Amino acid sequence: MDGFNIKDVPEVVLWIAKIAIIFGGLVGTAALMSLAERKVSAWMQYRHGPNRVGPFGLLQPLADGIKFIFKEELIPEGANKFLFRLAPALAAIPAMMTIAVIPIGTVVIADQVIPFSIAQIDLGIMYMLALGGLSVYGAILGGWASNSKYSLLGGLRASAQMISYELTLILSILVVVALSGSLDLNTIVDAQREAGLWNVFTPFGFLAFVLFTIASFAETNRHPFDFAECEPELVGGFHTEYSAMRFALFFLGEYCAMTVMACLNTTLFFGGPSVPFWPEAPWFLGILAFLVKAGFFLFLFIWVRWTLPRFRFDQLMRLGWKVALPIALVNLLVVGAWVAFTTKGS
Amino acid sequence: MVVVQRKELTLAERLYLPEVLRGLSLTFRKFFEKPITRQYPEEPLPTDEVTRGQPRLVVKDDGNIACVSCGMCEIACPAYAITIDGGETDRTIEREPKKFEIDMLRCILCGFCEEACPKDAIFMSNELELADYTRAGLVYDMEKLKRPKSALQRRIDYIYKLNNRWRSKP
Amino acid sequence: MTKIQINGREVEADPKQPLIRACHDHGGDVPMYCYHPGLTPVGSCRICQVEVAAAPGQPSRVVAACRTPVSEGMVVSTDTPKAHDTRRECLEFLLKNHPLDCPICDKAGECDLQDYSFNEGQGKGRSSEPRRKLEKRKSLGDVIVLDEERCILCSRCVRFFSDVTKKPQLTVEGLGSRSVINTFMDKPLEGNYQGNLADICPVGALTSKKFRFQARVWNLSKTLSTCGECSRGCSISVEALRAKEVKRLRPRYNAAVNQWWMCDTGRHAMAPITRPLAPEGAVLGGRLRGAAVRGYNGLELADESAATALAADMLAAHPGALLVVSPFATQEEATTALELARALKATPHFVSPAANNLKDDLLHTGDPCPNRRGLTELGFAPIEPAAALAALAKAPAAVLAGERVLEILGHEGLAKLPTKLRLVAYDVETSDIPALDVVFPVPTHVEKSGHWVNVDGHRGVLNVAVPPPAGVRRLDANLAQLARKLAATPVGS
Repeated sequence: MDGFNIKDVPEVVLWIAKIAIIFGGLVGTAALMSLAERKVSAWMQYRHGPNRVGPFGLLQPLADGIKFIFKEELIPEGANKFLFRLAPALAAIPAMMTIAVIPIGTVVIADQVIPFSIAQIDLGIMYMLALGGLSVYGAILGGWASNSKYSLLGGLRASAQMISYELTLILSILVVVALSGSLDLNTIVDAQREAGLWNVFTPFGFLAFVLFTIASFAETNRHPFDFAECEPELVGGFHTEYSAMRFALFFLGEYCAMTVMACLNTTLFFGGPSVPFWPEAPWFLGILAFLVKAGFFLFLFIWVRWTLPRFRFDQLMRLGWKVALPIALVNLLVVGAWVAFTTKGS
Repeated sequence: MVVVQRKELTLAERLYLPEVLRGLSLTFRKFFEKPITRQYPEEPLPTDEVTRGQPRLVVKDDGNIACVSCGMCEIACPAYAITIDGGETDRTIEREPKKFEIDMLRCILCGFCEEACPKDAIFMSNELELADYTRAGLVYDMEKLKRPKSALQRRIDYIYKLNNRWRSKP
Repeated sequence: MTKIQINGREVEADPKQPLIRACHDHGGDVPMYCYHPGLTPVGSCRICQVEVAAAPGQPSRVVAACRTPVSEGMVVSTDTPKAHDTRRECLEFLLKNHPLDCPICDKAGECDLQDYSFNEGQGKGRSSEPRRKLEKRKSLGDVIVLDEERCILCSRCVRFFSDVTKKPQLTVEGLGSRSVINTFMDKPLEGNYQGNLADICPVGALTSKKFRFQARVWNLSKTLSTCGECSRGCSISVEALRAKEVKRLRPRYNAAVNQWWMCDTGRHAMAPITRPLAPEGAVLGGRLRGAAVRGYNGLELADESAATALAADMLAAHPGALLVVSPFATQEEATTALELARALKATPHFVSPAANNLKDDLLHTGDPCPNRRGLTELGFAPIEPAAALAALAKAPAAVLAGERVLEILGHEGLAKLPTKLRLVAYDVETSDIPALDVVFPVPTHVEKSGHWVNVDGHRGVLNVAVPPPAGVRRLDANLAQLARKLAATPVGS
């Protein structure tokens, strides 16, 4: 590696490498999640879970993928063909794109520091929220274009739920923004590392973390808030009429959104790639720490799903508008006042 | 009218989050317990002489089939699963089956054939698996049904024991 | 008529018949092995014992009902404990040496010994001695096998030859428990009536070689029918395994025609009714599967209505057609054929092959046309096969209709017919006859219902014993359709 200078490498090559690694990792994680979901649920229920394809069933996602690709595509007769085909893409793509601004850490090659994220932009949080807001279109368009009452109801519920909880989500993120004073995710991470204190361990930060976690469950349509697709009442909700790879794309989108939410949770409240009590830890430990933290939140998604029963829709709305939103608002106001008060002198 | 008396919830229960954590801790503990699922093809179901599996034909120790195609099982079969066509043979017992078919899709494993057989020729084996790609493949012919007597000996002894119990009654 | 009392009821009995007939006629259930209504009673089995008193109030005794004449005022009880006990004891002796062969015995299911043992006998044997060992597979000629162990020495078979065929061939030889049935000098049985032995044997001692181990009798569906081997038209029952495959033909009692008997020719006439089907898609090499017409490559299977239309057009275009039906045609088919004859303006004929040498003084008439009398009464003229072939060679067109008509006319003769002859045939099977233009399949006489009139004018019934192959329609329906089509397009137009 002597004489190697990162400046000599064309920037395009770096981009492509980063995109390939991060994007591939995201899709791979989503695929693994589909296996993990079944494995974890099985273990929690005294079962074995998938164990026929490959060692410990590790090749199950591959088998599922092959199956999905070769299955027959059905499009309902009365469906809006264009929107019906568009919806799965709309569900999957925004969720995949948001990973771009997550700071996963840094890579050090020959003493040269390369930030390990696809894009470092000042308005990282704005970008994430803007793209995350798009993902509701996948559900609502899929539900509407299917020309099925179940799909439509599922789509409507999804939109109502996502819009309701997006407020709480944003307000709890704003607490972190107020604490760090920046919309740049890198800055937020750096602020936590410099303070030696992750946001989750501050009083306001903890409250914001709880609200953010609840809202992220609702945003990703996960249990106990999976109203968009609840099987007993809506026979699958907005993707009732979907089949084959389009059906799989919805799930890919859901798992990608989960992964991104887990990463975002890590970044905002758990110091991203910072290793606890060891600020000078080597770069690979930082990435490892990030992966461990994000992995825990992914596990939490599954864990909660196989523990809690689904809410009722009115309970969901009550929780969103009458409990979470006021608490988030008050929390933000108090944080704002506190920040304004403590930084008054400077 | 039924009035359901619901339990008054405590504050912690109404806050819901402590209850969520309790639930999560429960599932987390179960996470490490041993699965109780039977891994079926690798761990087959336990069978013994009482198992009433698919009927099989006894091949005697001299290599001849014990069946004389008397048609008792055929007529005892409540599902009409058995079809027998007899024919002549040069052995001391002049009759033997030329065609003995059991439609396993029809067979209900009731054991009437075993009970009806006057020649100890058909017994319920401990074979339980039944799968094929065609319906015709599940109509078992004589070659598929033949089993050496030793393979069915446990069941034969059991049936004799059972019958002796009835016989000893006055 | 004699007045007697049976089981407390005053009845009138025929004094010329033994007491067992009076018991059977008036509801007394008396078993019988050696007694057969068609044979001289000998009273050798003693199973028909009943309690009889000479008059009401008189002391009663147990007698064999088959050997006791009916006398005025006698009091008969078939159901008393005494009668039952005596019969049970008789049965025990009969079963002493009877092997436990029921699982392999052909008689099982229609065996008198089995039935009465079930009704009257006891479940356990009291004998500890081994049963006697005798020959189990003794051939008595081409038709009958004797199992000496199963025989209860009722001597029905011995009496059959002396009483019915009047040529004694069997006897009981040996003494005591070593008595067996045998032919004189171990000669094989002969004659055309040996098959009846298997029917009259009350146990499974005499079995038919042809039917041996072919089917369990409870799997046989029995259909009333009439034998087609000669103009006697014996009443028979056609017995088919699982109602699909004819396994045996047996006589059934008909006082006016054949009593209890039938000849072996008729009994073993299985070939015409168990003919295999032609290969899938083929016309030759077995029974016809459907209508066939002559195409570029010989006879080809064709749609039935199209073939009928073609036949009608052909016959309309060539007036002067000849109509010849088979001697197996039923009255119903013949009536329809007459309709066709009117449409064709033809004289109806039926093939009448020469008498064969099977004629005897018991049943067989030697005339192989089962419906000769019926067809003649309907106005069909008999025509010898040779004469028919000669007429066919000169005719412009012809219709040959009925089961086996081509076979009776002779395939060689038909093959020599000029190809300019327009020939329409209805038959079970055909050969590659160059003159044949259209051929339709017909059911055999066990696959259709109808009537034959026998030599004495007795109507014999035919019933569907086995279903005809798919695609084979009734002959009368086919002929009627052709007649209707011809009536719509007048001949010569």
